[in-house]
Amino acid sequence: MGAPTSLIRACTGRQATSLWETLMGLSRGITLTAVQRASRKDSPAPLALEEGELEEQFVKGHGPGGQATNKTSNCVVLKHIPSGIVVKCHQTRSVDQNRKLARKILQEKVDIFYNGENSLAYREKREAEKKKQERKKRAKETLEKKKLLKELREAASRKDG
Amino acid sequence: MKLGGRMLGVLLCGLGRAGGTRTFSSWPPHSPLTGLLSAAELVGHWTAVFEERGIPEARQSSEYIIAHVLGAKTFQNLRPALRSQPLSPPQLGRIQELSSQRLQRMPVQYILGEWDFRDLTLKMAPPVFIPRPETEELVTWVLEEEARRPHAGNAEGSPLILEVGCGSGAIALSLLSQLPQSRAVAMDKGEAAVCLAQENAQRLQLQHRIQIVLCDVTLERNWAPLLPWGPVDLLVSNPPYLSHQDMGQLAPEICSYEDPAALDGGKEGMDVIVHILALAPLLLKDSGSLFLEVDPRHPGLVGSWLQSRPGLGLHLVAVRRDFCGRPRFLHIRRSGPQRGCTVDTSPRLQLAPVPG
Repeated sequence: MGAPTSLIRACTGRQATSLWETLMGLSRGITLTAVQRASRKDSPAPLALEEGELEEQFVKGHGPGGQATNKTSNCVVLKHIPSGIVVKCHQTRSVDQNRKLARKILQEKVDIFYNGENSLAYREKREAEKKKQERKKRAKETLEKKKLLKELREAASRKDG
Repeated sequence: MKLGGRMLGVLLCGLGRAGGTRTFSSWPPHSPLTGLLSAAELVGHWTAVFEERGIPEARQSSEYIIAHVLGAKTFQNLRPALRSQPLSPPQLGRIQELSSQRLQRMPVQYILGEWDFRDLTLKMAPPVFIPRPETEELVTWVLEEEARRPHAGNAEGSPLILEVGCGSGAIALSLLSQLPQSRAVAMDKGEAAVCLAQENAQRLQLQHRIQIVLCDVTLERNWAPLLPWGPVDLLVSNPPYLSHQDMGQLAPEICSYEDPAALDGGKEGMDVIVHILALAPLLLKDSGSLFLEVDPRHPGLVGSWLQSRPGLGLHLVAVRRDFCGRPRFLHIRRSGPQRGCTVDTSPRLQLAPVPG
């Protein structure tokens, strides 16, 4: 079956912290638009994950890497050690983007895991459902009003005719 | 529908001119000749074909090609409904075309004509060097350091960035897109690279913030015309850093399609690096930074080289590992007033302990 590749454990603790610092550094204005977009959401983000509690794996071929190799295996496997939850992300062609997405997805799953009904995901879902029900109710009321008006007009025109 | 079956047979069995004299005769027994194939089934089919022909990353290659034809960046990103739907004959034809190129060991990035670097999609074209995933972290590091520097009112044109060996423009364009006030000068000694970087700049609407120039920094007579661009805040480079030994062990994807000049760093892989180090004091502001991507064997060598030339005013501040745990990136800082000097650019080195 194809060339063997080995999963390696990489980037826990110290070095990984700098990636997280970068993400936190977004709030210091590197990517202002991202922060502005986030703050426009109704609720605050779920509790940030500690890089020291994460274990990241990449598919790594043999050889020195860098310019010497051209690998397109950009899948990232991210594990939250305390809960054991694992996320696998290959949604983009960028390792960097996959790492960021994996953290976002994992953050959400960990939030649900620990907070259940109180997690952000569930709260947002209930909020959306609530708004949907309210819209339906208003639409129904509007429809009934129109129906009533129509009946009144028809009754009035029958009287005249 | 019968149409699909017969046309499929023609498309999937015949490799056309790209296949040369080799005929593909093994049909995976699990794939029906009749009936229409879905994306998922086609991935399985082409993975088997690639594996049989010894093509590395058989599954990934097949997934990228098929996802691309269906309009997605990765197979995982493809909507589940699209994965099980039958493909149209034009789609099948296109997949056949691209897969034939993969059978010729063309890198996937050249086959698709594009690739992603951080959050940017860049056009790719041979022989211009394909950005490696490790290099994304070089950009991350530069951004982190930039965030730490005090900004006096976020002046327009700040920071001013100079990139040596820009290739497709990945590094410079990433930095420009993340640092809204920055400006860049990017250079490459290859015409194809300069053209491609310019095209990518235009595609990303960054062309008004970057100047791309044809320049070979290993020729000292080319330095004088660069000086008016400076002094700059940031000098950044992923220079050719492979040693002769590494050059001799390259996969066909690399040695048959990518420009060797973008890879070859001379005997120890240090030839271009030392020219950049020599150039740095002439172009960098006081306290300006040079960020380099290098081979894992280089951090110590660079440290020694700088230590034996204190007149340059350059100090190796930090070494950072890539996501595979290899020492890959260097942060060098310049201290002292601007001055011109001639420098011994011979890469002869003395061993010294690596700092940090």
